Amino acid sequence: MSDLTLTPAPALGGYRERFEGVQLEELPNLAIVSIATPRGGEAEFAAAIEKAFGVAAPKPGHSSLSKDGRTRLVGMAPDQTFAVFTHDGPDARQVIDGALDGAGYTTDQTDVWVSLRIDGPRAHTALERICPIDLHPDAFPEGRAARTVMEHLGTIVLRDGADSFLLLSAHSSAESFLHAVETSIRNVT
Amino acid sequence: MTDKPINAPTATLREAHGGGSATYVEQPNRLAGGLVDHGRALNFDFDGRVLQGHPGDTLASALLANGVRLVGRSFKYHRPRGIFTAGSEEPNALVELRRGAHQEPNTRATTVELFDGLEAGSQNYRGSLGFDLLAANDLFSSFLSAGFYYKTFMWPQAFWEKVYEPLIRNSAGLGRLSGEPDPDSYDKGFLHCDVLVIGAGPAGLSAALAAGRAGARVILADEDFRPGGRLNAETLEVDGMSGADWAERAVAELAAMDNVRLMTRTTVHGVFDHGIFGALERCTDHLPTSGGKPRQVLWRLYTKRAVLCAGATERPIAFGDNDRPGVMLAGAVRAYANRWAVTPGQRVAVFTNNDDGWRTAADLSARGVEVTAVVDPRNTQPRAEIPGAAIRMGDAVAGTRGRKGLKQIELASGGTIPADCLAVSGGWNPNVHLTCHQRGRPEWREDIAAFVPGKDLPVGLTVAGAANGSLSLAAALLDGETRAREAVESLGFKPAKHTPAKAEDEAVELTPFWHVKKGRARAWVDHQNDVTVKDVKLAHQEGFRAVEHLKRYTTLGMATDQGKTANVLGLAIMAECTGKSIPETGTTIFRPPYSPVPIGAFAGRSRGKDFRPFRLTPSHHWAEEQGAVFVETGAWLRAQWFPRPGETHWRQSVDREVEMTRGSVGICDVTTLGKVDIQGRDAAEFLNKVYINGFAKLAVGKTRYGLMLREDGMAMDDGTTARLGETHYVMTTTTANAGGVFRHLEFCRQCLWPDLDVHLISTTDGWAQYAVAGPNSRNLLRKIVDPEFDISNEAFPFMACAEITVCGGTPARLFRISFSGELAYEIAVPARYGDSMIRALMAAGEEFDVVPYGTEALGVMRIEKGHAAGNELTGQISAQNLGMGRMVSKKKDCIGNKLSERPEMNREDGLRMVGFRPVDRSRSLTAGAHFIPRGAVASMETDEGWMTSVAYSPELGHSIGLGFIKRGSERMGDIVRAVDLVGDSDIEVEIVSPHFVDPEGERLRV
Amino acid sequence: MIINHPLLGPRDAAEFVYLGDASLIDRPDWEDPDAAEKYYEYLYLRDNPAGLHRELWFHEQGDRSWLVVTRNTLTHEITNVELARDVAKAQGRSR
Repeated sequence: MSDLTLTPAPALGGYRERFEGVQLEELPNLAIVSIATPRGGEAEFAAAIEKAFGVAAPKPGHSSLSKDGRTRLVGMAPDQTFAVFTHDGPDARQVIDGALDGAGYTTDQTDVWVSLRIDGPRAHTALERICPIDLHPDAFPEGRAARTVMEHLGTIVLRDGADSFLLLSAHSSAESFLHAVETSIRNVT
Repeated sequence: MTDKPINAPTATLREAHGGGSATYVEQPNRLAGGLVDHGRALNFDFDGRVLQGHPGDTLASALLANGVRLVGRSFKYHRPRGIFTAGSEEPNALVELRRGAHQEPNTRATTVELFDGLEAGSQNYRGSLGFDLLAANDLFSSFLSAGFYYKTFMWPQAFWEKVYEPLIRNSAGLGRLSGEPDPDSYDKGFLHCDVLVIGAGPAGLSAALAAGRAGARVILADEDFRPGGRLNAETLEVDGMSGADWAERAVAELAAMDNVRLMTRTTVHGVFDHGIFGALERCTDHLPTSGGKPRQVLWRLYTKRAVLCAGATERPIAFGDNDRPGVMLAGAVRAYANRWAVTPGQRVAVFTNNDDGWRTAADLSARGVEVTAVVDPRNTQPRAEIPGAAIRMGDAVAGTRGRKGLKQIELASGGTIPADCLAVSGGWNPNVHLTCHQRGRPEWREDIAAFVPGKDLPVGLTVAGAANGSLSLAAALLDGETRAREAVESLGFKPAKHTPAKAEDEAVELTPFWHVKKGRARAWVDHQNDVTVKDVKLAHQEGFRAVEHLKRYTTLGMATDQGKTANVLGLAIMAECTGKSIPETGTTIFRPPYSPVPIGAFAGRSRGKDFRPFRLTPSHHWAEEQGAVFVETGAWLRAQWFPRPGETHWRQSVDREVEMTRGSVGICDVTTLGKVDIQGRDAAEFLNKVYINGFAKLAVGKTRYGLMLREDGMAMDDGTTARLGETHYVMTTTTANAGGVFRHLEFCRQCLWPDLDVHLISTTDGWAQYAVAGPNSRNLLRKIVDPEFDISNEAFPFMACAEITVCGGTPARLFRISFSGELAYEIAVPARYGDSMIRALMAAGEEFDVVPYGTEALGVMRIEKGHAAGNELTGQISAQNLGMGRMVSKKKDCIGNKLSERPEMNREDGLRMVGFRPVDRSRSLTAGAHFIPRGAVASMETDEGWMTSVAYSPELGHSIGLGFIKRGSERMGDIVRAVDLVGDSDIEVEIVSPHFVDPEGERLRV
Repeated sequence: MIINHPLLGPRDAAEFVYLGDASLIDRPDWEDPDAAEKYYEYLYLRDNPAGLHRELWFHEQGDRSWLVVTRNTLTHEITNVELARDVAKAQGRSR
């Protein structure tokens, strides 16, 4: 054993930038854990989610905020839910495992993604340049989520405020994704 | 006045432009009023002459205001041509816009919005516009008639090479490209709405108001910079105010609605499946510079309903020399006078077969322009009193005079009338284009002698106003409103109560009249492609009578204007020739785009390095610091080798990396391998079904190699799968196939065995993974792995795996697997630690002289070990070919096992993967060489297989290869030839075991 | 094209990857005495209808569901979209 220690580095180095009417920032401490519903264990899963978070598991394309406001559950697929919460450290999966007590199969997805938040009155206008999903508040109100593709890159978009969107895209292409979002903002501001 | 050189100011444009308040330059054809700002002058340059216009002008209106009539030369015969229309249908007035790299050829002067400092030039001439050397083509026109291009192929070849090709190449084409990269940027975007209204004329505004007032989400798109369409070009009134004022009020109301998006300078150019429309927005084309913003945006519009209000396009009448500058469409002449306060001539004559053409005479006359004649082939009463004009009912214009511009018209009845502008109207064609984009066929309507949209419209689209054949203003307003109400009601909105806009139902009567038969001069049908009445007749004579043949034989309607002013006229002439009716003769189908879309707009941002995204591993920036040379593998950038000072050839770097790894320890970033997290009670059974070999008995803490087949028995992918827990596995796939394998696994899970409790999620990006290989790999890792984890050979043998911690508590996964054939591990940490981890590994390895190695050294070592990779797994290779036929379990069901049993795949003389070495060890092997028996002629019949991968083995000191050869595994020691006909080499090779290095695998297990 | 996903609503076809005829769900029993012949038919023999066609699409840039899309090959009209898993189960597939 040596005295070597490892330091975490955010995918984009903790990027944060203000533009006219838009702010864009990386969320380096956003933990993401996927939870799969066991076949035949749907009832137990639902009960465990309710118990752990005080809300029902959301349907695909929807999300719900836990009762304590700390965890957002996002419905990703018929048997897949993401738990998204602020957490520092590489043990996010254990946090969810502890809460669910084996009622779902968990996988740490934190490092799979880069997380950006785009917000401000021009955010929607900027996203129109890359996002094929209809983000009009009537069609995509707060709490709605969609997994789609932006500039060739798979992206999860979640509205977490009137003018605020959470964007998750692949960690490996974080720089290309940031470039795509920045270009969109620059093109409309 | 028209042919006289303009008294051009001596100042250059820049002086005039930058010199503060510009001196006023006379615009001889400018009238009062209109929708231009007379108070502000804009300087612009046309062919080196500085001219002035006003805000609100187009380049065409400004040129006409300045009396410029000759603006270009025609495509084929280089005939002098002027401005013909006032819109995007313009066939003639194509100019080169801007300078340098920004130069854009073939821009329609009629759609270019004037700005201060605009520079434009005429195109398609040699010498000067006034004296075009290529105008000689016109003298040889009998050789260049319809189908001339095809006929040239029938002549002796020497004629083609020496005469026709140089001639055609010299004279073909319109404007010139700058030859430089496009300096502008382009963007794309996505918009959604309930109702898309295409066109902001009377019908479009009326439709948008009705839909917007009902609360629907509306997009109103118009190609013009000023909404209003013909309302701006006419003197007709709506709700007691001028059409232009009404349009302005309507636009103001729409702009105040949150649910309406008004997009000017936006052309909807195509209709696609399921309510998707394409639109091009010209964002900065009307500005001197783009200011760093995208010049144009290509929008994809997702709509629930669409109302097409694209209006109508006027069509000409063909007669002799009807292409002379000064001959224009009547509606355009009126638009220039009413909207742009410009008269295209000082003495205007009108030639019309319909009531609408008379309004041109009336409007111009009311504005004080001298109207010299109204010629109407109908034998009826004059439609208006035009003071001072000769009214010729039942007559026609048979010819024109004037060298580079009109001076006189010749009447069919004999005699001439002076005119420097002839306004021609043959009626109006509804703009049905978008209704045809999904194979809808327009229908002929006799009363307006025009095609209107057929019944087979794109789903969700309706048509209103002139585009639907409702040619009067009152009808258009009502039509737009009605169609929009229907659209919003079908979507569940309740139309608001309001009084519909009212206008007079003006007269639009017409008697079809296509071309004047009198006169010997050529009569032009398609001005842009120089197609004449005679060409259409020739096509008929030579048997090209079907409308699609007519089009291709004569090139009618195939120019950049897609024959917007020409097609129906051409068709009518063909109908005359065949003696059939026009609808019997046919109609051409319109395809996207409605008007030209620059390639740059389709490319959008996808240029240069932005062509596609890059994927980078967490050690990428560290590798850059080391001077690594990168290679693209799919979207990934991977370090290919790490050159050291003094190394001048890649082989030196790669050989060193291999030698140092096999000699002590090397590290390679293998993050790019696909990783799939597989969990569930039935995960083992699932793996058993997707891999040919058994996974049911894999113990927790162990890893196994697996080969995956497609259902047809061909190898799809291979990799290792580790069992981390009772219900938890991690599969690795090859880098290239990660996406495809995941899709396949989901297919198996959802479609084939839907009740298995198994769940998949990709974790490829979540882990930074490093191969640590070489005899000192364990010693190195001992400095990294936390001491509570025993990684001794006994506690952590070959193919073991574990979840551990490293460097004082950071979670990691350790696999004892080897691609290099050495004692080796792969260690993975969460991606956020990847950069830190490579630095820690390198620091820990310093005492062992650790070396980073790239994909080349990785490849050398796997060839030395006889591991198949992408070069071997081509999709045409079976387990049997790989020598893994016996791995295909017969005791269980798995993808590909049944069709692997096919006799053809189990031939005794089937291909087997084996190793090859040159008999003369100094020779280099080449991949792609085919194996031919000694003494045989290299041919398909004697071909026995091929070389797939080759490398120089530093350990063996010579070239080695892997390849497939018939019965290979039984032929150890045989000598064959490796023949590379492309590389022109033919060398003898010996068939050997593919395990070149450490064939017993002893190094793996120490 | 737009595919109306049964769970997520209308999505652009660009998010999907096409596979082919939905009969690929009907993988034969490997222990069937005529398995060889049945696999051959399963994998290689397809109808090519001018009209309604049931086909498999994967929502790769979405929820990763396999869908059975009923599309008219003449008009591109899509008349039905189902989760392939539901279709497979309804056809008796299990484990």
